Amino acid sequence: MTTRTITLGRRGFLKSVAASGLAAGTMPLGTAIWAQSGTVLRAHSYADIDALDPGFYQNGYNVDVMNCIYSKLARYVPGREWEIELEAAEELEQVDDTHIRFKLKPGIMFTGGHGEMTAEDVKFSFERVLEHDSPVKGDWGPLERVDVTGKYEGTIVLTKPFEPLWLIAIPYGTGHIVSKKAVMEATEDGGNFGMTPPAFSGPYVLEEWKPNQYVHLTRNPDWTGPMPGFDEIRIIPMDDEKVAERAYESGDLDYTAITLSSLPSYKENPPANTTIEEYPSLYYVWLGMNLENPALGDINLRKAIQHAINIPQILDAAYSGVANPATGLIAPGLIGHREAPLVPVAGDLVKAREFLGMAGGAPDTPLTIDTLNATTWKTIAEVVQAQLGQIGIPVQINVQDSGSFWTLGMESEGDRWKDMQLVINRFSMLPDPYYATNWFTTEQVGIWNWERFSNPEFDRLHEAALSESDDEKRAAMYREMQDLMEETGAYRFITHEGSPVMFSDDIAPALRPDARPLYIGFKPDQA
Amino acid sequence: MVIYAIQRLLLSMIIIVVAVSLLNVMLHLVPGDPAVMVLGPRATPELIERTRLEMGLDRSMLVQLAMFFGNLLRGDMGTDIFTGREVSTIVMEALPYTLILITVSILWAMAIGIPLGCYSAVRRNSWLDRVTGVLSVATISIPAFVMALYGVLIFAVWLRWLPAIGAGETFAEQIRHLILPAFAVGVSWVGYIARVVRASMLEVMGENHVRMARAFGLREGRILTAHVLRIAVLPAVTLIGAGVAHLFSAAVFVEVIFARPGIGALIVGAVNERNYPIVLGAVLVTTGIIVLATLISDLVVAWLDPRLREEL
Repeated sequence: MTTRTITLGRRGFLKSVAASGLAAGTMPLGTAIWAQSGTVLRAHSYADIDALDPGFYQNGYNVDVMNCIYSKLARYVPGREWEIELEAAEELEQVDDTHIRFKLKPGIMFTGGHGEMTAEDVKFSFERVLEHDSPVKGDWGPLERVDVTGKYEGTIVLTKPFEPLWLIAIPYGTGHIVSKKAVMEATEDGGNFGMTPPAFSGPYVLEEWKPNQYVHLTRNPDWTGPMPGFDEIRIIPMDDEKVAERAYESGDLDYTAITLSSLPSYKENPPANTTIEEYPSLYYVWLGMNLENPALGDINLRKAIQHAINIPQILDAAYSGVANPATGLIAPGLIGHREAPLVPVAGDLVKAREFLGMAGGAPDTPLTIDTLNATTWKTIAEVVQAQLGQIGIPVQINVQDSGSFWTLGMESEGDRWKDMQLVINRFSMLPDPYYATNWFTTEQVGIWNWERFSNPEFDRLHEAALSESDDEKRAAMYREMQDLMEETGAYRFITHEGSPVMFSDDIAPALRPDARPLYIGFKPDQA
Repeated sequence: MVIYAIQRLLLSMIIIVVAVSLLNVMLHLVPGDPAVMVLGPRATPELIERTRLEMGLDRSMLVQLAMFFGNLLRGDMGTDIFTGREVSTIVMEALPYTLILITVSILWAMAIGIPLGCYSAVRRNSWLDRVTGVLSVATISIPAFVMALYGVLIFAVWLRWLPAIGAGETFAEQIRHLILPAFAVGVSWVGYIARVVRASMLEVMGENHVRMARAFGLREGRILTAHVLRIAVLPAVTLIGAGVAHLFSAAVFVEVIFARPGIGALIVGAVNERNYPIVLGAVLVTTGIIVLATLISDLVVAWLDPRLREEL
């Protein structure tokens, strides 16, 4: 899998939005030559939608649909690089560290007679996230307010600089703009409207949602922007990607993500009329150790475990050898990605034994590894069990269902966190390093920081990096933060996995650099 | 008969209450927090706590159970913690797909299994009887999900005759989408029913009233249908009644493999998400159906065999 390291600073962004803004502004309506009539895109999603209010969104599969039915100031550019381009905004400019000025394109209409999108709608959409204490209000960081300075113009005001806003708020979930009038009519207090959007402002409208069957999107008749490529989109939820693979092979889908375990066979023998592409993923998988568990209190034991683990062996067993080793939390292509971990990816059994000797030998009772009941995770745990066995550390694997696993290290769920020792974990993230390090601050101990790692320097760097606008300096901070984590011995970074997809040669997909679909950019392939 | 039916109905209600209560205990015994699941990782501890209070999760298990049954008496099964939709609506959207699946599955299994069992009994030790015996045991041994997987690979992926996923929209599409799942769920039942009917037929064919019918010179076809099969089919009816729970279990796997909506897939997802209202609502309904199916099969048996009516 090849990846390119791309960093996006404010200057780079301004340059890119200016260029794309020009492109969008000069494209006459209806001249999108690829816009065909009577075409339907059938795509797979890994879960069914369960939240359509952008102010209260959860999970990427909901945002995939929101991208189609609402507009936002700027959006991700399809391709291999993390860039954004203007969508509803005609102009978007960072005036200073805490002020972002925007000007909407005139003529963007909300459906249902709810009028034209104005700066008041932008203010309402962003501020309601704070006013209603949304669980995702963190995406907006230190947002204070939005000042309206004209019908289409306004300024986003922050209390302090917040670099991640450009990649995780403006072009993503909470960045979508809803109609103030429609939402107030539907909810009275402007709160969460759940699964019933009162008005649409994107190129598509939600025609029908059949739970656990499909999401059916059709062209928005009030849409005044460039025509999207397909008349209709059907997004079909399937939890199991293997089921989706079979559905694709039988001709029931045009596009689907595929599993890493299937990738070698698909590359060798692809279905007819099919393109297979590999993208990097933002997920990060690691083995964590509970620093406050007495059995793992000795740093030498933790370092012995770190050095005994051979990552390529794990990847061969759990990912058919098609995933690359991780060097830290932050995936390739993002600011702060490390070129190499402190502990060699293949481990070092000699050093592992030395550390074990310094720790006074292996523990008397087996250590435990908690893992989710998914095949890949269980395989990782089994390989780790075998590798630690090589230096005489006995390990017992505890397999848990998702409901139980995801509250394992939470103090609010009782005392289970005290017994947790080793844990195989996997988090997803958005394309800003803040999103990865955010979970490992002292504040997160006992919430999502299950290793209970607490380091004042890490916390300081985490805060400082939020307002650092120099990409190089910011990257250095995140690299140092990952070093600090690894030096505790409590982390062994395993992989960022990968995001292979396959699609019919009859379509040209539009994907983010991590292969998440941007459906409004999909088009029928005319080649 | 009426008193029997009333007694059975009362017993059925007790079974449902006990089943839902046990499930509620199990849900609370396993770790997991619906508030965390619904709010996602970025929610603050304060918001999680507030949501817990709103969901009534701070109350004792008994109080929550009492509230569930209290609301149920008012026709309120609660709301989905993620989408806020009525549980009754969600369950009733999914239920018809499962009911259609298991009904069609068992009907086609009966349509083939009963004649096969009869033929095997009448032509005992013939080559067809032997082949039927081997195939019956073979199909009984193969789990429904294996049948489903191979059905998809052969008929959807390879031959492309039938769809691999979904339930279809028009009537014709729904029939096409039903063929493979119904085949997968029903195929093992062909074997079950054929073996039970064959064994029962052989037993009944040796009874005095059958010999008497032959002595009176009744036609063999008439004897088999009116005097043998009518009694021989009773164990199969009982088996099917008791097997509804098994059919629901098979439907769970098949619904997942065919990405088909249904109550099984709904429960599996809800358990993983700790979506208590959906789990309780869906299990309440499925328990009710299973109890009802058992009741109906008992009543059908009683209707087919007048001797049993007197024993009621």
